[in-house]
Amino acid sequence: MSDLDDFKATYFDECSELLTELEEQFAAIEAGERTPDRLNAVFRAIHSIKGGGGAFGFSELVAFAHAYETLLDHVRDGRIELSDPVAVLCIRANDLVADFVNSAKTGTKLGAAYGAEERAQFDALSNGGAHGAAAGDDENGPIVEEFDIDFVPVMVNLDGAAAAPVVPPADDSFVSAPLAVEKGHWEIRFAPHSELYARANDPLLLFRELANLGELTVEAKLNEIPPLADFEPFGIYCTWELTLVSPTATAESIGEVFEFVEGNCDLSIAQLSSKNSKAEPSLADLAQIVTPPSAAPVTDAEVESLSFAELAETVKAEAPKRAAPPPPKLVKSAEIDPAPPSLAAEELDDRRAGPDDRRGAGVQSIRVDLDKVDRVVNMVGELVITQSMLTQQMDDTLRAQYQELVRGLEVLAQTTRGLQDAVMAIRAQPVKSVFSRMPRLVRELAQKTGKKIKLETIGEATEIDKTVIEQLSDPLTHMIRNSADHGIETPEKRRALGKPEMGTIRLSAEQAGGNILIAVEDDGGGINRDRVVQVARDRMVIGPDQQLTEEQIDNLIFAPGFSTAEAVSDISGRGVGMDVVLSNIKKIGGSVHVKSRTGLGTRMTLRLPLTLAVLDVMLVKVGPSPYVIPLSSIVETIQCSRADFGRAPSGAKVLRVRGEYVQVVDLAERFELGSGADLANRFVVLCEAEGGVKIALIVDDIIGQQQVVIKSLEENFESIEGIAGGTILGDGNVALIVDVQGLKAPKLHKNAA
Amino acid sequence: MRVLTVDDSRTILAMLHHTLSNAGFEVLQAEDGQKGLDVLATENVDVVITDINMPVMDGIEFIKHVRASGEHNSLPILILTTETSQDKRDQGRAAGGTGWIVKPFDPEKLISVIHRVVH
Repeated sequence: MSDLDDFKATYFDECSELLTELEEQFAAIEAGERTPDRLNAVFRAIHSIKGGGGAFGFSELVAFAHAYETLLDHVRDGRIELSDPVAVLCIRANDLVADFVNSAKTGTKLGAAYGAEERAQFDALSNGGAHGAAAGDDENGPIVEEFDIDFVPVMVNLDGAAAAPVVPPADDSFVSAPLAVEKGHWEIRFAPHSELYARANDPLLLFRELANLGELTVEAKLNEIPPLADFEPFGIYCTWELTLVSPTATAESIGEVFEFVEGNCDLSIAQLSSKNSKAEPSLADLAQIVTPPSAAPVTDAEVESLSFAELAETVKAEAPKRAAPPPPKLVKSAEIDPAPPSLAAEELDDRRAGPDDRRGAGVQSIRVDLDKVDRVVNMVGELVITQSMLTQQMDDTLRAQYQELVRGLEVLAQTTRGLQDAVMAIRAQPVKSVFSRMPRLVRELAQKTGKKIKLETIGEATEIDKTVIEQLSDPLTHMIRNSADHGIETPEKRRALGKPEMGTIRLSAEQAGGNILIAVEDDGGGINRDRVVQVARDRMVIGPDQQLTEEQIDNLIFAPGFSTAEAVSDISGRGVGMDVVLSNIKKIGGSVHVKSRTGLGTRMTLRLPLTLAVLDVMLVKVGPSPYVIPLSSIVETIQCSRADFGRAPSGAKVLRVRGEYVQVVDLAERFELGSGADLANRFVVLCEAEGGVKIALIVDDIIGQQQVVIKSLEENFESIEGIAGGTILGDGNVALIVDVQGLKAPKLHKNAA
Repeated sequence: MRVLTVDDSRTILAMLHHTLSNAGFEVLQAEDGQKGLDVLATENVDVVITDINMPVMDGIEFIKHVRASGEHNSLPILILTTETSQDKRDQGRAAGGTGWIVKPFDPEKLISVIHRVVH
């Protein structure tokens, strides 16, 4: 059943959002914000998970969520204090709810005992908490069993419904009802209160429903109507006596009809025994018997000739919203069944002008499959390329000749750029969704390591492409683990060093041009460089005599298989942490920079592209081939003839720029392409790599700027050092994207050899 | 016939929408009580189905506001709730709720409950 599958997909989608929300709320609660708003939000999240789960019959999930919800309900109304143990239980419960949701999603069984312990704790707390509060609260009982995943109309205990004595027809206005000898014969007295009308209940609808149970006779009692002087237009003067003849009706089924008006009316339901009944009239008699004054519909034209009782009806008809319902009349099930829904629908259709243009009012956002957005993103990407290709085709002759075309192309370029921004904005999401998972991680890490750590987050609202966000969770987790495990010192050590016992990890996000910078910073001991170098030598990551700068040493922590942990803990230190960070981040076109200050702490910065789809680049030529260099990393371009080259003491070629010596990489040499061009005619592209380090790339020619859609080399070919990816140019040629960061980093193995 | 459904759960809104539109109703949606009021300010509806537990404005406040406006005294409002305890339902009724639907709802029951309160 595809409908059901759709609903389930929606439900699981919603669940994962709600679970994230739970994390956030508990992070704030843990931080001391135990406000009613937060507790309500937590309650609602669990409540929604339970509600939807019930609809699909996820009974294990529902039962657990229900027990948890009951506890939360007590917590939010203050019957149970949210002490630390209770908070810990709740956080544990959130995990279990996630497990149950996951089990429901994948169809795997968790076993009956799963979560039983926690449920017992909920129940113990809930019952204990409730006992401490007002006695006689109706939620005291074992609530889990009450919840039934089937639709259970709640039976109303109508006063006197079953036990009411038989009421003889004492009132002289009572018209005796027909009676079938073999059938159940019920007499119902019904006197609405004003609240009944105030809640939009309508006696006519009740009678209609009663008529579905059997043959119904309705008698309006109008003798309550006061003299005109005392008459209140909105007063309730009409009561009814009804007789229901039905072989199947029971006190319950009749009571159910009045379920919604219980407490808003005087009601008695009594079964007549046959000896109290009178002789049975024929059906023809029946029609005559029930000819109450109000049987005919009242129209304005008839008002003048009306009796007082009828006048009362008119008043009510004119103010149906607050006063009485339309006149009662004899109704039989055959008359009532088919008409109402379709008729009402037709009437409404007539009344409404242009139903379609109002459809969906009140909806301010739509949910779209990510695939559909990606299709648009891709197509916009291609459009951008086509547009840049067209622009390239315009040479000066054409420009002079077709000015209109040029203007059109300029508008096209602008529109395309706007379209692209708009599409990217659709995919952008605040980093909050990832950041919100981290407080809990830090909490757990603090617990496991016995350290005191607090997490600060800054810039949660910074938006970044959804795909990037998805790839961010693992690297951030590793980085924070690393900070907690290796960075922050034990409280004793911190005290001895004169630092506050509580270590701080700061997680921040900010936008910087076309990039997002995400930093994890701790105030721990910094990277122990001596130890890093020693370990790197021991593990042959670097050569025995290789001299490294501090920065290079710091970056060793990203080398595959590197770990300085003294003992392999279950947190980090298995040596598969930071190299995973680096490869994950590189995969999404980002880079990692680490900066450490001994004794003061470490800061790791991720530089991520705003979007993965399109890159602004400079198109250059190296040998016969086109290459592109990301515009975001280019500082300036210089003609080689004007460049100030020199030699470093090591013999390496350097470029002097404003008193600074910059490493030079000739791309033709580096990529082993023959360059036919004279050095004087070539160009230097000065780039800035991670950490502000500059590198000068020598290219044969600069063609221009454009945008490209990145295609992964790893997916389509294989990873090449110094190349970040590929792209297809407007003319169909493939150009490789230069990895500035990768070219800058000296290849440690080679250098060591 | 037009139904306004007010619930913060997309799952419930989607299921209501499916059930109700299959039964020939036109369905309007709102995610909380405040948005429900916004819809009622501009749209005519024949019946409202509202959840109780919602952010921003809960179902009980929503019903109170609807009734307080005076314009919707005869608008049937059904309370959609999983609460098996009587409290919430009674609060909803006291605020002016016409009837209630217990979640999870059976499609047929849902329609029949609507017909109980709408002409």
